[in-house]
Amino acid sequence: MTDVIVVGAGPAGSAAALLAARDGLDVVLLERGPFPGSKNAYGGVVYGRVLDEVLPNWWDEVPVQRWVTRRSTMVLTEGRALTVDFRSTDWGKAPYNGCTTFRADFDSWLAGKAVEAGAQLVTSTVATGLVVEGDRVVGVRTDRSDGDLRAPLVIAADGVKSFLAKEAVLLPRTQAKHLTLGVKEVLSLPREVIDERFGVRGNEGVDVEILGCTRGIPGGGFVYTNRDSISVGVVVSVEHLAAAKVRAEDLVADLKAHPAVAPWVEGADLKEYTAHLIPEGGYDHLPPLSTPGMLVTGDAAGLCLAAGIWLEGVNFAIGSGLEAGRHARRIIETRDEKPYRAALEETFVLQDHKRLRGAPGVVLSERVQQQYPGLIADLVQGLFTVTNPTAKPGVVKLLRAAAKNNGVKLRHLMTDGLRGGKVFR
Amino acid sequence: MAEPRLVAVLARCSDLRVEVDALTGAVSRDARTVAFSSSDAAAIEHGLQLASAWGARTLVLTAGGPECDGPLRDVAALGAEVRRVATHGSYVEELAADERALARAMVSAMGERPDLVLCADRSADRGTGALPAFVAHELGVVQAPGLVSLERDGNELIAERRLDFGRRERMRVPLPAVCSVEAAGTRLRRASLPASLAAARFEVPVAEVAVPGPAVRVLGSRAARPRPRHLPAPTGSSRERLLALTGALLSHEPPTVIGPVDASGAADALLEFLARNGYLSEARTGYAAS
Ligand SMILES: Cc1cc2nc3c(=O)[nH]c(=O)nc-3n(C[C@H](O)[C@H](O)[C@H](O)COP(=O)(O)OP(=O)(O)OC[C@H]3O[C@@H](n4cnc5c(N)ncnc54)[C@H](O)[C@@H]3O)c2cc1C
Repeated sequence: MTDVIVVGAGPAGSAAALLAARDGLDVVLLERGPFPGSKNAYGGVVYGRVLDEVLPNWWDEVPVQRWVTRRSTMVLTEGRALTVDFRSTDWGKAPYNGCTTFRADFDSWLAGKAVEAGAQLVTSTVATGLVVEGDRVVGVRTDRSDGDLRAPLVIAADGVKSFLAKEAVLLPRTQAKHLTLGVKEVLSLPREVIDERFGVRGNEGVDVEILGCTRGIPGGGFVYTNRDSISVGVVVSVEHLAAAKVRAEDLVADLKAHPAVAPWVEGADLKEYTAHLIPEGGYDHLPPLSTPGMLVTGDAAGLCLAAGIWLEGVNFAIGSGLEAGRHARRIIETRDEKPYRAALEETFVLQDHKRLRGAPGVVLSERVQQQYPGLIADLVQGLFTVTNPTAKPGVVKLLRAAAKNNGVKLRHLMTDGLRGGKVFR
Repeated sequence: MAEPRLVAVLARCSDLRVEVDALTGAVSRDARTVAFSSSDAAAIEHGLQLASAWGARTLVLTAGGPECDGPLRDVAALGAEVRRVATHGSYVEELAADERALARAMVSAMGERPDLVLCADRSADRGTGALPAFVAHELGVVQAPGLVSLERDGNELIAERRLDFGRRERMRVPLPAVCSVEAAGTRLRRASLPASLAAARFEVPVAEVAVPGPAVRVLGSRAARPRPRHLPAPTGSSRERLLALTGALLSHEPPTVIGPVDASGAADALLEFLARNGYLSEARTGYAAS
């Protein structure tokens, strides 16, 4: 008899299956792709601290591309770039911080852990709907013959468009307002060339988050280094992208052509192109996280943290999946799903979401997206341009000029500063 | 002939998405993309259909490592018996390169004489397609390779095969026989979900077969360093010795310089070259040039 059906062998589903199986439950993990990760796309960095407790020394076996030891935040305007660059050798040794890894490798590895714990992975199988009795979910339908599968608990970990959560009316049918679209190119380059261009050695890697590279469409860009390839992409608001009538791949082309990025990608071969949606509604737009007989985890529940300089989805998916798996037995026994949400409130998953609930509003606001990159670039260019024989201008004068030049009022700066301070305090 | 009792399918399982790094030429294989090719899958489907029509057993054999167990479990979920022929040991791992040895190993792993052996017309890595012939030889039965359709006609088979110019050849194949099939007109069915779940923990039986080593054995290998050829030192004056060593001023056939010319000029030059070197008769040249 199956106790738990987990739909989706992404990070959320495999984490849920891992703990439920370790708890002695009979777990079936359904995945529509031919193997876990085969259908999944993301930017490139996994922050694995969340695994410490359940998979000690995970860093010795995770299929890593490079350990991120350098993190840069870049503000771009046409022809100009300001970068804040941080590097730490601490992140290059155990217990590490984040790593670049390919999803086909990472998701297969994590699902393998769930299988080792006793979960049964069934691939190339799509959950097409829910089996409902009264108000309770009692199983799922699949695209296989004789494909209904019943269990006292279903965990929907089927990702951002979660058809299961929609069928259970936990998610609205269309949710474009709270979705961003991520598009990414993986460009292959010899390892030594990457080391040289990004100033790293061995298995050290770089994570660059970029603002101001999306033609004013709310969003941002990124560059990550893999072993012998780099990932370059943008993440933009679906609604605004549609309104601007711009194609997302043109934004990636723009980014690659920017003088600050072009030298990194020169001579690289396109290896892969992917596009995927990201739920960015944040805490204020989370759906109910359960319905009788079913829990929703990871992106399916909108739990990806997208807060400006942070885009963390995999660790939040794992965090929420672990709580779903940990409480599965109790939920089955009591037929009460509330402990799941309560547990999430106690962990970083909902605590970070709650604390940073205002972040999407600040980071994706028109001024931050369209006016501040120009303002910052003007200010810094003014500071570092030598104006002899004229004396150096004062910073305040430069700031006023930059603000005026970019249509920003000083009171806007004050209010946005206060708002940002409140959100990121 | 009595009702057929056993249909054996020899299905190769390999990484169908081998990647070659464009920069370094390094080949990488991945156990996750190991599967039956579409013609191997077609052979299995034909096997299941014919065996069910005859009320016979289907036995699917694969030579390979544990990475083949997943696809074999999927076949077990369809009701076929499965067996993996272990290929550890350096020579046996190269079995696919020696199709005669592979045929022997597979026939010995069957354990009993099949009434029909099916396999793919050629392996996904562009094999020679010679395996069915070797298997037929081992079993001493007839063979019909490269089939696009297979139908049961009593205890015999009616088979079709492609010919050149879009023609088809229709054949009656008596049993026992070895048939290889193209990936045409049939697709391997999928097991039901309960059958897949039941087969998920199924331990794939492994046949350890003793394969005789290759007839030609490698005695050793080393870098090729031929001995230098001893040439007598040139004699005469220093100028004569220099000329002898460099070969300068010796008569050479001058290089042929063609062009720039238009297409017909180039064709004429080529024909003239071929005629001059005895590859074409004058008459032929005249015909081609006219
Ligand atoms: C461009 C981009 C960049 C990103 N960058 C990062 C980053 O750098 N770091 C980070 O941490 N996060 C990043 N994210 C976010 C991260 O990818 C997600 O938050 C995370 O993958 C969510 O995990 P999940 O398990 O909830 O869902 P998913 O990873 O989407 O997994 C869902 C799984 O369910 C399967 N599935 C779906 N429907 C069905 C069905 N009906 N039946 C069976 N199986 C089904 C899918 O095949 C998939 O395997 C990025 C996302 C994008 C799009």
